[in-house]
Amino acid sequence: MELLLQTLLNGLLMSGVYALVATGLALSLGVVGIVNFAHGEFLMMGAFLSYLFFALQGLDPLFSLGLAFLAAFLVGGLVYQGLIRPVLPAPELNQMLLTFGLSILLQNLALLLFGADTRVVAPSYQAATLTLGPFFLGAVPLGAFMLSLGLLFLLQVFLTRSRLGLAMRAVAQNRLAPGLLGIEADQVYLLAFGLAAALAGVAGVMLSVILYASPTVGFIFTLKSFAIVALAGLGNLKGVVPAALVLALAEALVSTYLPGGGGLVEAVFFLVLFLALVGRAWRSP
Amino acid sequence: MRELSHLPFLSFFLLLFALLPFLPLGIWGAFLLDVGFFIQLFTAMALSWDLVARTGQLSLAHGAFFGLGAYGAGLLAPHVGTLPALVFGAFVAGAGALLLGSVTLRLHGLYFAIASLAFSEVLRTLALKLAFTGGPIGLPVPPPFGGVWPLAAYYLSFGVLLLATALSLWAEWSPFRLAQAATRQSEAVARVLGVRVVRVKLWSLLLGSLVAGLSGGVYGMKTLFLSPYDAFSLGRAVEALVIPIFGGLYSTLGPLVGGVVLVGLEQALRLWIKEGYLVVYGAILILVILFLPRGLVGLLGRRRG
Amino acid sequence: MGKALEVIGLSKRFLGLQALKEVSLHLEEGEILAVIGPNGAGKSTLLNLLSGLIKPDQGRILLLGRDISHLPPETRTHLGLGRAFQIVQPFPELSVRENLLVGALFGKPGLKRKEAEAWVAEVLDLTGLAPRAEALAGELTLLEDKRLELARALATRPKVLLLDEVMAGLRPKEAEEAVALVRRIRDSGVSVLFIEHLMPVVRALADRVVVLDHGEVIAEGTYEKVAQEERVREAYLGRRA
Repeated sequence: MELLLQTLLNGLLMSGVYALVATGLALSLGVVGIVNFAHGEFLMMGAFLSYLFFALQGLDPLFSLGLAFLAAFLVGGLVYQGLIRPVLPAPELNQMLLTFGLSILLQNLALLLFGADTRVVAPSYQAATLTLGPFFLGAVPLGAFMLSLGLLFLLQVFLTRSRLGLAMRAVAQNRLAPGLLGIEADQVYLLAFGLAAALAGVAGVMLSVILYASPTVGFIFTLKSFAIVALAGLGNLKGVVPAALVLALAEALVSTYLPGGGGLVEAVFFLVLFLALVGRAWRSP
Repeated sequence: MRELSHLPFLSFFLLLFALLPFLPLGIWGAFLLDVGFFIQLFTAMALSWDLVARTGQLSLAHGAFFGLGAYGAGLLAPHVGTLPALVFGAFVAGAGALLLGSVTLRLHGLYFAIASLAFSEVLRTLALKLAFTGGPIGLPVPPPFGGVWPLAAYYLSFGVLLLATALSLWAEWSPFRLAQAATRQSEAVARVLGVRVVRVKLWSLLLGSLVAGLSGGVYGMKTLFLSPYDAFSLGRAVEALVIPIFGGLYSTLGPLVGGVVLVGLEQALRLWIKEGYLVVYGAILILVILFLPRGLVGLLGRRRG
Repeated sequence: MGKALEVIGLSKRFLGLQALKEVSLHLEEGEILAVIGPNGAGKSTLLNLLSGLIKPDQGRILLLGRDISHLPPETRTHLGLGRAFQIVQPFPELSVRENLLVGALFGKPGLKRKEAEAWVAEVLDLTGLAPRAEALAGELTLLEDKRLELARALATRPKVLLLDEVMAGLRPKEAEEAVALVRRIRDSGVSVLFIEHLMPVVRALADRVVVLDHGEVIAEGTYEKVAQEERVREAYLGRRA
């Protein structure tokens, strides 16, 4: 019983980061209307940023968080301007192939630059744990969880209270709306895409400590985000958090209880993604 | 027929490949034969991907079909001999395709692509974990025909390319072309016009997967060793789709030209860069989408669906 | 004269909306039947149910006496049901001729290529599309689009043809030609059910009219008879008051 609860607790803590990354994907999907296969690469960039600053400058990842947010936002904006914007009028499949190509490009560029090895960022507090009765809470996962929730909360406030946020939600509902609000649709897209990238970038920093930084870590999270967004229902931003929770818990359970669980863990997400898509298709009339 | 105008080009390429081992290549001989092997094999993969793409299904599962064929053939080869093993590998790939296809029937374009990607990743994870595949350590594969004929692998890959080309040409020259084009351009309308869309999609996926499976089987027999990372690599799926997009979609000449150029380039680059030459593929994909959506062959004339 | 098409108690609900409620109607062989009604009456839903693109909640559809209620669209076409869509969706990367060829080759199983091509040539002539036969379907004018839609449906050699507002956007002369064309089609042995908003067309073309409102049949008969009925007037005019 204790093992079960501890497992669920671990899963819960991870769900924060998952929700953060998936929300980014949901934003670019819902607002910009593009399925960004390269979403995870912003995460990967954040992770490597954290690693590089730590390994070369001794900079604590806590500082990298803010840096990654800004850097990813910037890069996201550039990517939007240079690559995404020209392809928005093109058929969906072209967009998909473009972002897919970008993902392949970035992953392999990182592979060339850094090699395939995983790099862990190990500040002094990496292994610290807090005890809650008979249970252990990793300090870093806990911090990540709380930070993720905090960011998501801020996002929520931004979306509901600010003019730009409102514009974003309007665009997500109806592509034509922004002109009416006196805001260029293009600016809204740029902001949304940049924001999505920034969220992923921050998540990347956290993951560099919890997990590792590697050229392919982003891609795995892209697929996991797809799974979460597919489970939540496309366009359902609020559903992302519960969906992330479900998947994180499932992952934790598989990891603990299934023999050889470590390797099968990813398959859980892929399987869920597959089933979610298929189920969705068969349910429509 | 307009389509016949491509025949001279195609024949030229195929003849070149067939005769390559007999040309005076000097010290470059062994290397060029290797390059030729991979060009043939991956062009066949590209053709098999294009065959499926003609119905509007953008498969990211071709890496999985390749892997299924590779492992199917590799596992059986020590027991039944080269050709039956290859056929078995193709069947396994085909079974996978039917499973994927029948379940994803209602998924269009993008969602089919993601589902096929997920399918592929599930299989790769399984290949890593299941014991009988040799797990992460890998699976040794015996050489074709017991190693008696050194050119066996080369000509096997030629055979696969020949088959792929034949299938692609058949699909282009027969009424199947219209069925595929109609399915791709407007599925509902195609159905109302009497096109058996489900059959068209499943057949296309099946045929494409069989070729991909054969390619995988031959690959294993050349490299004499299979690992899940290699056999089920996403890079393979990427290559299979970048080539037709670059060379010209929905045709036979397009993937062929694209294959010779891109795989040739890749093999040349390998001399300098061990890993990460996929960077080039990623860049090419981006550039083609942005500037050349019709691919190389599209530059040559009005595109026909 | 038998019934070319029979609809019995057809119902369909979408989420909260009852789009069709126990609709029954029939099309006699050799007849031209118009289905009219205000917007949202369920006309397009009816056609989609008949084509097999959506499944009914209740009811049956009989084509030439055969129950097709649960058959997929392509099979219905093979059995002789043709359909022209309201929003034209040509196969943009195929030529006009190839568009028709799809219908000719696959509309009926077992047709040889030569026969199909000959039939396509006939249809091209009949619908006036012959001069544009090799043009890419994605590059047509609206009028040509509409003709293509009709021609494509014809290419499948239907015994029953469903037309969805094919006259919309046509100038009077073009509409006249279209009406004549539909009559010629009927005379060649095809029964026609068409949805239309333009009353002059309905009056000129229809042997009989069925009026739908809010998913139900509210009137049936000749144009003159139906135009007199109180309920029909209310459906079109009364709601605005």
